[in-house]
Amino acid sequence: MKQTDPHHPHENCLALFERLSEYIDRELDAPTCKEIETHIEACKPCQVCLKTLKQTVALCKHLERRQVPEAFSLKLKGAIFDLVNEKTD
Amino acid sequence: MPNPSEKTKNGDKDTELVRAINSGRQDLFYELVHRYEKSLYNFGLRMCDTPSDAEDMVQDTFLNVFKYLEGFRYETKFRNWLYRVATSACLKKKRRSKYAPDRELSLEEFLPADESAVSADLPRWASQPLDQVLDGELAGVIRQALLDLPEKYRLVVVLRDVEGFTTQETAEILDLTPTNIKVRLHRARLFLRKALKSYHETD
Repeated sequence: MKQTDPHHPHENCLALFERLSEYIDRELDAPTCKEIETHIEACKPCQVCLKTLKQTVALCKHLERRQVPEAFSLKLKGAIFDLVNEKTD
Repeated sequence: MPNPSEKTKNGDKDTELVRAINSGRQDLFYELVHRYEKSLYNFGLRMCDTPSDAEDMVQDTFLNVFKYLEGFRYETKFRNWLYRVATSACLKKKRRSKYAPDRELSLEEFLPADESAVSADLPRWASQPLDQVLDGELAGVIRQALLDLPEKYRLVVVLRDVEGFTTQETAEILDLTPTNIKVRLHRARLFLRKALKSYHETD
């Protein structure tokens, strides 16, 4: 994210920043991935950027799922029961 | 009769069940409800303002699925079609969220303001194992951040990262291009990451 030395200009960080999600999702071609990996290896702020974004995605993927309230589940099945009976009458 | 839980050639475990329902076994509709009520309810909790709205959305979705199931074309996976119906029910339920007003998210708002805002240290929440992080308050932070996301971004990140649809499937469910999905997904993720970072910094 910052100009750490002449080999890692800010523009490279910005270009990477725009494509990080596609990189995480493996939606980029092999040469682009290689380019990103070479940059990240030498750029500490971009490593942090990638890891924090990866963790954000992982948190979303593992969010706890609540049980359906029993009263609602019964109400739903009752509504469907009425529809099934209506159709078969 | 074929086993309703058997996967078909296109990998859709629901096709045979749907075919059986459409050929007159309407009693099997309860099996569809059983398979998806928990997923849809949790989708509703992420998309609607209140648990009561989520319940209404789930009920509207199943009633619409029952009504229109005969028109299901088997060209897409049933689950994709189901979420298309559910998304439509969500949007009808609430045109506007009281939490998250509609607005565009730009990439620029997620860039560090200056060099002093750039960190070379990995924050603790990003280096800890997932189970430890999810047991803590961060799960609540991310749930709230999802509700704070403008709806068009929330829909994409919930379908992609929470529900696990691919980019192509999400594009089909929302009638958008895959490129559009990728753009919205990236901005939504950056919004969530910003919320997590802010929570950590004020901790």
